[in-house]
Amino acid sequence: MYDTAIALERVTKRYAGHTAVRSLDLAIPRGGIFGLLGPNGAGKSTTIRMIMNILVPDEGRITLFGGEAASRDLSARIGYLPEERGLYKKMRVLDHLVFLGETKGLPRRRARELSGQWLARLGLGDWAARAVEDLSKGMQQKVQFIGALLHEPELVVLDEPFSGLDPVNSQVMKDVVVEMARAGRTVLFSTHIMEQAEKMCDRVAIIARGEKLVDGSLADVKRADGDRHVALAFHRNREAAVRVLADRSLVARTDDYGASAEVTLAPHANGDALLEALLGAGVGISRFELVEPSLQSIFIAKVGADAATAPALEESRA
Amino acid sequence: MHKVWAVIRREFVERVRTRTFLLSTLLFPALMIGITVLPVLLDRRVQAPKRIAVLDGASGEAGARVTDGLAAAKRTGGTGAARYVVTRVVAGADVDRQRDSLVRQVGVRGEVEGLDGVLVISDDAVTTGKIPYYGANVGSPQDMRRLETEVQTALRLERLRRAGIDPFVAMPALRPIDLQAQKVSGGTVTGESGDASFILAYAMSFLLYMALVLYGNQVMTSVVEEKASRISEVLMGSMRPFQLLLGKVLGVGAVGLVQLGVWAGTAMALTRFRAQLAGLFGVAPDSLRTMPIPEVSPGLLAVFLLFFVLGFLFYASLYAAVGSTCSTVQETQQASVPVTMTIAVGLILMFSLFGEPNGSLARTLSLLPPFAPFMTPVRHALVRLSPVEIALSALVVAAGVVAVAWLAGQIYRTGILMHGRRASLREVWRWLRAG
Repeated sequence: MYDTAIALERVTKRYAGHTAVRSLDLAIPRGGIFGLLGPNGAGKSTTIRMIMNILVPDEGRITLFGGEAASRDLSARIGYLPEERGLYKKMRVLDHLVFLGETKGLPRRRARELSGQWLARLGLGDWAARAVEDLSKGMQQKVQFIGALLHEPELVVLDEPFSGLDPVNSQVMKDVVVEMARAGRTVLFSTHIMEQAEKMCDRVAIIARGEKLVDGSLADVKRADGDRHVALAFHRNREAAVRVLADRSLVARTDDYGASAEVTLAPHANGDALLEALLGAGVGISRFELVEPSLQSIFIAKVGADAATAPALEESRA
Repeated sequence: MHKVWAVIRREFVERVRTRTFLLSTLLFPALMIGITVLPVLLDRRVQAPKRIAVLDGASGEAGARVTDGLAAAKRTGGTGAARYVVTRVVAGADVDRQRDSLVRQVGVRGEVEGLDGVLVISDDAVTTGKIPYYGANVGSPQDMRRLETEVQTALRLERLRRAGIDPFVAMPALRPIDLQAQKVSGGTVTGESGDASFILAYAMSFLLYMALVLYGNQVMTSVVEEKASRISEVLMGSMRPFQLLLGKVLGVGAVGLVQLGVWAGTAMALTRFRAQLAGLFGVAPDSLRTMPIPEVSPGLLAVFLLFFVLGFLFYASLYAAVGSTCSTVQETQQASVPVTMTIAVGLILMFSLFGEPNGSLARTLSLLPPFAPFMTPVRHALVRLSPVEIALSALVVAAGVVAVAWLAGQIYRTGILMHGRRASLREVWRWLRAG
């Protein structure tokens, strides 16, 4: 048995003109949900495609289930939902799922059985005999989702699985993912929606411009940045508060939400000093609390506003 | 292999299920039956007998003979109905005026039925063989040839009589001949007629050409559609690009074989069950003209099928590779021109070699993979090739198929994941080297 479902060692992928992934190390343990986070164009999809053996890394090594075999030869054990999704428009839903199951090595009859069960579970039972093109976009996305899970893989790789889904469908799929993780399977998913990742992931890695910035369990990541964050709310003299928060010896960064703000303290400052300064300036404070940082604020702090936009070359990648 | 099968099955089932496939498969047999039966039916049912006036200005029995000959002519279809209603008008002093007044009745419709045509027979006409005919409808070559034959037969009798020769002696002597060409190969008669070899060779290469352009293009379109719908990436997660390529080419190829099989089967069935078909439509069996289906020896059929399959694999792989470099079906139309041109060149070269199937050009082309699928089976049909020669040619093409499939696989592997504009030749070259 293996302990690490996916291991990347110094993996690099270059395209003409730029490096999409630079010397990336990642270890995704067996079981649980691993979030691969990063802004658009950070190299998430390239990393996932290399894991799936669709792209070949220029340097480095990728190990799956602790063995040397490439992902494509292990496809019976891996489910994959790419970011670029597609279905055969004219095919019937059930036939399509059976076909996808067969390409994963499922016997035809078993694929049919499982497809029926999944369709019923996700409320698509009545649509089994309809053509894919008759389905709404959300329904098609569910079909693709089923296609990735049909063969009961022990590792599921989902590239931006929740993008473009309405809250109800998003919830349904989230439940499925969580249930799989509970059953001991490994889920790797990429996203740039931090709220989602914060709620679901056991572990996260943040990458930007092809390089890893943060990696670890969600609790560790937050603790590493702990006691440095203050949640604030004002009810009087907001202008004075803005002046205090602009003092770089006290405050490193401010996430200003208007009536409230999330503040990252400067390296040598502490909460007491900030509170004193605010009271001294005559600010009316309705909330002052040392908090765990949200994944969102860690993400923004690490990635920086400039990296949120990818270099133009990234757009022309394969 | 399980995965390749899944792709083959999907391609086959999804294609055969479409309305387009059903229509195009059934339309052709319907068309063939129509072509066979309709002329006879039309001839019998639609047309009333033609009303013809014979203006007889010749001495002797020439006019009378023509009149009798036409009146005795029967319609095809076995009903025994007369083809013509003939009136003989003996010429008086002013033949031209008589002719003009008859011509005025041609094409008249109404209470008084007009004429369909006027034949003018004179002594001069009997000698020179130039017979004026004034008709309402002279456009149908078939009708004109029939009329010509009837008049010719009648006038031959008259000419013989004038020369003092007994027609019963002379007519058998004048019977036309028909060259019964038999193909000889390696010193033995093969039992195939010359015509049959030619028709067979001709039909085969056309069939191959059609299949390549038709189904090769389907492979290409299917690749582009997979790219456009982005399903290719899902599939790339579970199988090698080459597996997908192979399944696709074989799946579409199987559809092509089924369709061609149905068509060929219909043509053969039409010949074999001609009598039943005739009975079904209530016409005489002999009146049905069917496509001449030559006797095909099993050996020749095997060679044809072998090269058909090899040729299809060769070109379908190329089409797939072209498809993978494009993003839209429109782009493929332009990008596939070199492939389609090569096929057309193969066909044209093949036609030019009917005259000299054993010349050095023909021999050389039989050893070039893009052209051999056209050349070798056709040459074999014309002049029996030795097994060694066939095997050599097949081996060369098979090697070509492997090379092209590898090449296509390399291009396909990268191309299928590329989106956006069409790949340039330089990029394709880079993909090839990257492999």
